[in-house]
Amino acid sequence: MIAIGMLGLLLGLLLAYLVLDIPIPAEWASYLSLAALAGLDTAFGGWRAALEGRFHPDVFVSGFVVNALLASLLAYLGDRMGVDLFLAAVVTLGGRMFLNLSIIRRYYLNQWSLRRTRG
Amino acid sequence: MTAESKRAQWLIFFIIWLVVGALLGVALKAQFRLHTAELPSTRLPELARAYVQEKRTVQAMENEIRQLRQKTTELENALATGTKQTKVLNDSLQAAKMLAGLVEVEGPGIELILRDSERRPTFGSPESQLMELYIIHDYDLLRVVNELRQAGAEAIAINGQRLVATSAIRCVGPVIYVNDIKMASPFVIHAIGDPNTLMGALKTPGGVLSDIIDVDSKMVELHARDKVRIPAYTGSTQFRFAKPVPSEEVAK
Repeated sequence: MIAIGMLGLLLGLLLAYLVLDIPIPAEWASYLSLAALAGLDTAFGGWRAALEGRFHPDVFVSGFVVNALLASLLAYLGDRMGVDLFLAAVVTLGGRMFLNLSIIRRYYLNQWSLRRTRG
Repeated sequence: MTAESKRAQWLIFFIIWLVVGALLGVALKAQFRLHTAELPSTRLPELARAYVQEKRTVQAMENEIRQLRQKTTELENALATGTKQTKVLNDSLQAAKMLAGLVEVEGPGIELILRDSERRPTFGSPESQLMELYIIHDYDLLRVVNELRQAGAEAIAINGQRLVATSAIRCVGPVIYVNDIKMASPFVIHAIGDPNTLMGALKTPGGVLSDIIDVDSKMVELHARDKVRIPAYTGSTQFRFAKPVPSEEVAK
């Protein structure tokens, strides 16, 4: 699971950096970053769900698209209203990412110690 | 779970990570480009606010300088009411300050407005090769100032910036610095002197303004004025390097 995720991430990064050359207007850059953050959050969530054995592709994909759009939209709305709404997205997504990562970490630690006691 | 659905699951997982990677890559690239262009995307409104505030502070301080210098003049005058000696001293002091441009002055003179042409030559025409003719340059101002001084102008200001002995007029990118103050078109030049002489000097055929008028007569606006007010110089009057030579050395 880790290998697949990291491989995808690396390939995507390389693709964006070297192959694709999408010119992003300066005022859109922060929204795009937020969308990327939301995507990262969903990806970690999917990882955790897969480890817990309740991975649903439809939930995963729809969550990815909707979260990314919602985060950017919220930030855009906040900019128009003069309220730093993007902070809400950053805090929520960041907090959830930490939570998911800690659960993932615990899962692998558990497995490792199990394997050691057995072996 | 069947092997097939497991593989489909992994494929989706891989694709999502791929997309996340791509998104991150594009976002990072965009941010990197912003940083290299030195455009702090989220801090622009703050910077704009700070800029306006600083500008206001500078203006207030310049006003204070003006007021304080006026006050010193008043104090010097008050001090000079005593003996004849102090009066003579003060007279020469005030004359020196007039010459240095530290006193706000008024008198007859002219007002000259130079602005960039609004005409834009059509692309590809021979005129479009000479775009620089359609804008006012630092050397235009320099030549005008030189001509005005030659015609006996006693005080000159560009957009309210008094020209003194240490003043520089210099083009920096799209703006012109006068006394280290940024300004752009239109340039309003005030000069005190004999209006007829000054007007004549500027209007001379083949003179400083004729080239500009030939391009677009709307770039130049020249009026004689009965009363022109020219503010005092508000910049630094400190000398860092030059020191007066002691008088006995001069005598040798």
